[in-house]
Amino acid sequence: MKLINLEIVKNKRKIISFSSFLILLSLLGILYSTFNTSYKKPINLGMDFVGGNELRIERLCVDKCSDISPDTVLENLREVSKNKKILNSIKFQFQNNNKLISIRTPYLSIEESNNLITNLEKIIGPLNYESKDSRLIGPKLGKRLLTNCVTSLLVSLLAISLYITIRFDRKYALYALIALFHDLLIVFGIFSWLGIILSVEVNSLFAVSLLTIAGYSVNDTVVIFDRIRENLGSRNEGYNETIQLSVNESFRRTTFTSITTLIPLLTLSLFGSYSLFWFSLSLSLGIIVGSYSSILLAPSLLLKD
Amino acid sequence: MKRRQGWLFFIILLLTLSLYLLINNPLQLGLDLKGGSQLTLQIIKKEGNVTNDELEAVNAVIDRRVNNLGVSESNLQTLGGDQLILELPGEQNPLAASRALGRTALLEFRTQKEGTSEDLKELDFQKSKIEELIKIYSSAEKNLDGNDFLISIQDRLKEIEQKLNYSANSKDLYGKLIEIKKYVDKEIINLFIKTDLSGKDLINAGRRQEQTNNNWEVLLTFSNSGGDKFADITKSIAGTNKLLAIILDGESISEASVGSQFANTGITGGLATISGSFTAEDAKELEVALKGGSLPLPIEIVETNTIGAQLGSNNILKSLYAAFGGLVFVGIFMIFNYRFLGFVSVLSLVLYGFFNLAIYSLIPVTLTLPGISGLILSIGMAVDANILIFERIRDELQKGNTLTRSIDSGFQRANSSIVDGHITTLVSCFVLFLLGTNFVKGFAATLGIGVLISLFTSLNCSKTILRFFTTYQSLRQKNLYLPRNNFNN
Repeated sequence: MKLINLEIVKNKRKIISFSSFLILLSLLGILYSTFNTSYKKPINLGMDFVGGNELRIERLCVDKCSDISPDTVLENLREVSKNKKILNSIKFQFQNNNKLISIRTPYLSIEESNNLITNLEKIIGPLNYESKDSRLIGPKLGKRLLTNCVTSLLVSLLAISLYITIRFDRKYALYALIALFHDLLIVFGIFSWLGIILSVEVNSLFAVSLLTIAGYSVNDTVVIFDRIRENLGSRNEGYNETIQLSVNESFRRTTFTSITTLIPLLTLSLFGSYSLFWFSLSLSLGIIVGSYSSILLAPSLLLKD
Repeated sequence: MKRRQGWLFFIILLLTLSLYLLINNPLQLGLDLKGGSQLTLQIIKKEGNVTNDELEAVNAVIDRRVNNLGVSESNLQTLGGDQLILELPGEQNPLAASRALGRTALLEFRTQKEGTSEDLKELDFQKSKIEELIKIYSSAEKNLDGNDFLISIQDRLKEIEQKLNYSANSKDLYGKLIEIKKYVDKEIINLFIKTDLSGKDLINAGRRQEQTNNNWEVLLTFSNSGGDKFADITKSIAGTNKLLAIILDGESISEASVGSQFANTGITGGLATISGSFTAEDAKELEVALKGGSLPLPIEIVETNTIGAQLGSNNILKSLYAAFGGLVFVGIFMIFNYRFLGFVSVLSLVLYGFFNLAIYSLIPVTLTLPGISGLILSIGMAVDANILIFERIRDELQKGNTLTRSIDSGFQRANSSIVDGHITTLVSCFVLFLLGTNFVKGFAATLGIGVLISLFTSLNCSKTILRFFTTYQSLRQKNLYLPRNNFNN
């Protein structure tokens, strides 16, 4: 039973140009984001990676600290602050019976953050400066995390390609890696664009989602290559025809697998907490792109002219 | 068939074992799931790098202090040679903890210099005045705009500055107050002579409420040699007007005279109390810091990350339920598409879930968000393995093979794809686990475990369950395995 008959031999050009187009679009987003937007980074890195300020300070209250809503504080701050730009992306939180204030801001110089505290004091009363805890959230840690993610990803890709070279062929390893880079690049590019248009920030979960996509994409591609290798050994049809046949034989499996993986991810992004929304979105995108590249791109690259 | 029955027995045994494990060792949730605080401590050394020994020493002190704080399941790790990461599960206000942990806790005992009584009296008087000012400034809530109030504090501060012949350089009022206090502390200490008794001679510290008022005092227990030193020191000043000062991190926290009745032997017994009108909280922080010993190098808390119970666990729980709901949909999808085979795969996935969780509680693996992501991916791969097998079984059935034969060759043919896919993932898990930071490790661990278990459940459990069911004649009808429209072909 065939759901569909994919003519990859006929459409090889189209497939490769479509992928090239997507990659170009992603690169465009990455370049635009690097050179033309306010943050000068290939992607809008969140506080996890670049750091940001988190100010935590205790209020000095005699018995009980009065109840103030974060919105009121923000409104009042707007009136007294000189630099109103900072206030656009500031987040307040009161903890410990209104005693502890925690403030999250983008990167602030020490002077700016001191100004903020002084202004805050005018609104909510004296603060205990000894309890002040105002520093960047792990810029070093974030950088360490970033380089660590990248190096371990690269080394693991090397190990995977070594395994594929041994089990299959060097050519297969190369194409599996191309498909993998294709997937990662496109997801990365989409988030670059999301950063530009919706100022979506990527956090450390995004790095994890990239690792996950890498694992998924390789697995997907290897299964199809496995089918191709099996059919090449047992069938007498032409090389290109055998590849096309193998792709069609694996088509149902690949789509079903994608669907079964997508279902929990979609429920996660629809009903899960907001903090996981972008994470599940990037995973879902990766799985869709990954299935596409496994079914169409990687086998097309294997075809002979 | 006999061999398969052996497997069935084995699987049931494993399932019982897993349930037993899970009931007895509940899963450990990471900070990002259950809330708590994570502190990053930076060791500060002015010259040269922090050596391994120093790192170990700081680690040991912090570890002791954390234990004395009484936070359960805390976790302390070194990071990159000069940092420590401390996780305090459930701790929502790490400020108190960080005060007790971050303190160098250098305890000194000093005796007063000859003929400085007048100076000390004056300095102590100024110290009490500045402390009062700080208190007034601090307890005034919302009134800071009142200029009169600020001016009165400033005037009184100026008076103190004149008396001390020192003026503060800080810009803001509060900074000035603190600076003056530090200056007074330093001047006071200068009136005392160092002795060789220090925090190193302590073997224990405790606290108790004073009988006469509500203040707390901190009890010190010296080692044998420390007790001797203490006796010598008290003997030397007993009956004189010289005072004994107990100095903590550069501030005199207690000054006391020694009565003339101790002139012959000094205060023996190796015990001392510090009564500096502590609150219960102060006394506890001091006790914790002293019990752990002083830090060989000062530390600074460079990062505090608190995941609130509400922010963290509630939202995450919601997400877990969502993911679980998604898995139920996957089950329905599988049964809809593969009918009886789908049912078998659901059974084998339930086994898969239990085995995974059991291994988590056995090792134990602390479940974090990246960990859950790894689990989701591994579930995807386990389902994928089942789909691969079922597609092959269907192919064989459509070719007209018998059920038993189709099942056998379906598993056989899917074998190499499944093994290849799983091994490539395993290879990258291995590398990620070796190289990755904790964050990445959590992901690699759950994915790796999941992939290993998936090899077992997909290739073995599914097969065993299928074989078991196909021994019943009623479950052997082909239409249980193929969509109806196939019979039209």
